[in-house]
Amino acid sequence: MSVPSAIQQKLRRALEEGEAAAAEGSVREAIQAGIDPVEIIEGILIPTLTAIGDRFQEGQIFLPELMMAGKAAEASSKPLTEAIVARGGSSTSKGKVIVGTVQGDIHDIGKNIVVTILRANGFEVLDLGRDVSPSGFVDAAKQHAPDIIGMSSLMTTTRPYVQATLNLFRDVALRDRFRFLVGGGCVTEAWANEIGADGYAPDAASAAALCKQLMRD
Amino acid sequence: MRSNWLVEIVKRAQSGPFMKEEDFDLGVAKRIRELVKEKGIRFDPGTLVPSDDDLADRVFQAGLQLFVEWGAYCQSTERCIRFTLGEVQDILKHVPSEVHLGTGKDAVVMRHRGVEDPRPAVMHSGPTGTPASERYHPLILLSCAQEPLVDCLGAGSVSTYLGEQILPGTPLEILGARRDAAVAREAVRMAGRPGMHINDVAVPLTCAGKMSAFDPEAGLRRSDAILVAQMVELKTNFDQLSRVAHLYNLGAITVDLMTPLIGGIGGGAEGTAVVSVADHLLGAVLYDADYHMFSHTHIRFVNNTDPMGLWCQAVVGQALARNTGMITLNDIYTVSGPGTKELLYECAAGAVVGTVSGFNMQGAGTTGGFNRDHTTGLEARFIAEVSRAALGLSRQAASALAGELLHRYEASLARPNRGHPFPEVYDENTVQPRQQWLDLYHTVKEELVLLGLKCDYEPRPAAPQGGNR
Repeated sequence: MSVPSAIQQKLRRALEEGEAAAAEGSVREAIQAGIDPVEIIEGILIPTLTAIGDRFQEGQIFLPELMMAGKAAEASSKPLTEAIVARGGSSTSKGKVIVGTVQGDIHDIGKNIVVTILRANGFEVLDLGRDVSPSGFVDAAKQHAPDIIGMSSLMTTTRPYVQATLNLFRDVALRDRFRFLVGGGCVTEAWANEIGADGYAPDAASAAALCKQLMRD
Repeated sequence: MRSNWLVEIVKRAQSGPFMKEEDFDLGVAKRIRELVKEKGIRFDPGTLVPSDDDLADRVFQAGLQLFVEWGAYCQSTERCIRFTLGEVQDILKHVPSEVHLGTGKDAVVMRHRGVEDPRPAVMHSGPTGTPASERYHPLILLSCAQEPLVDCLGAGSVSTYLGEQILPGTPLEILGARRDAAVAREAVRMAGRPGMHINDVAVPLTCAGKMSAFDPEAGLRRSDAILVAQMVELKTNFDQLSRVAHLYNLGAITVDLMTPLIGGIGGGAEGTAVVSVADHLLGAVLYDADYHMFSHTHIRFVNNTDPMGLWCQAVVGQALARNTGMITLNDIYTVSGPGTKELLYECAAGAVVGTVSGFNMQGAGTTGGFNRDHTTGLEARFIAEVSRAALGLSRQAASALAGELLHRYEASLARPNRGHPFPEVYDENTVQPRQQWLDLYHTVKEELVLLGLKCDYEPRPAAPQGGNR
């Protein structure tokens, strides 16, 4: 059963306007109407949030709109997860990603944008926050077993901690268990290759595309 | 510094309203949107420098209201540090409106500048915002310090120490900070200006690193400064506040550094202008800053020479010039690099807009900070000359001129020409610009003259004697 157009419109508008309560309400309404939660995610949530991410990338909307859409999506995810579990299903995640800003770097706006865009694209994201030590990444990776680990550094002065983190994963023989993406103001593709990362993303949209590609590989 | 004020700030940082950082961000973002609407603040890309005093005052009132309602977020305690309107207004009555920078014959007085102020702006330069290599850092600093119209020097940032990457919080950070301070001190000495004010050593990221840059013989002195940063938007932490404590006790100069993002928490140009005013108030109230460095940049291109960046600069400058006695500095950030005409157009636009809007000058942060060693003293000379030439311009004339300049580089914003590194545009032995870079400089200068700007060199009047304010 497809989502009735009135509910579709309501949910899209709620996401676009960042209305968390309205988004959650629309999702509950759809579930009560017997709509498959996976259909809601695949048919409405992901395309709407992807479009919002694209508009941000093109400078048509700004960070507050993106953040509020992210919060609305987060509010919607609770009833969706409940409904999927109730139907005997499991996660619809496209993959699990751990993201953090490396040690010494307290700038996290860029990383937050990446988190929002990845979630919008259907990834399960664990945000470790900023100023994350190399062992913090390792501990989180051991505990949560992600598919991909993303590290961000804005400044040249904190960039060495990206390499230090990768080195620690090598030292504890976990390097080959995960895919590593790097990005941030001071990171370049050449440097990412030099340190042996699996991918470099210059912006949030590229990060999402790269994560999808890595999950396919 | 107000006596024992930091004690009160630390107390409020531990007792203010608790809030998760994400909720602070969202709350501030929503309130900015409401204030922009309530105050009728509108960005007009056709008027880069508005001449509307009422608009400037409304932006100031919106920023003041935002700061009083939300205060500053302390990341160390996850609490808001808030102040009453009366407290903020009282502090604003007593902010420094002039400060003596440097010592002896090289000292300058940097003042609060008004809108369309006929008095020259003080010029800061150095590789602030553009990383430098160990090899070229001393030459880049000298190229800036030797420029006659440059008054103050920023020591910039070098990310290695004897070829080893400097990790923050390690001994190499201390060694790197002390080396960069010594290199800056040597650069001003070699330029024959040993007392020139040095406005920061950028490599250290910790308070300990910043403190280690002070050394009366071979590093920073009381007549110099370090930057105390805010995190976007309206955020601080105990490491930053500890820098204030050190500067306060030492008697050195405190610079409030803010880096508002256009397209970030503030949203578009209007909201970024509002939060930028609030950021300046944070610097006055929490840091008791001697002067304020306004380094707003576009969230994607990391510059402030696009239409939103220039408009924001104009409106924020005027708002603060008209409603406070603060000493403000606009930090010109470009997408282009040395050896290109685009860099000079971008610098000129920033200098014209900032000069008529009440700012002192700093620049240039080239290539959005992406390309190492892509910075030289010539663009600093150019900014200073354009700023001098813009004295006496009306805001309307400045707006038209900035629009004409923008037309000449706007296409390059999305596809920047990063230019060339220092050794390709300067002679390493003489530390003078190579002919090709000089030719471009003269060409663009001639274009500016044709646009009606009189780019003549005028030596600065004799500087006052003495050290700190």
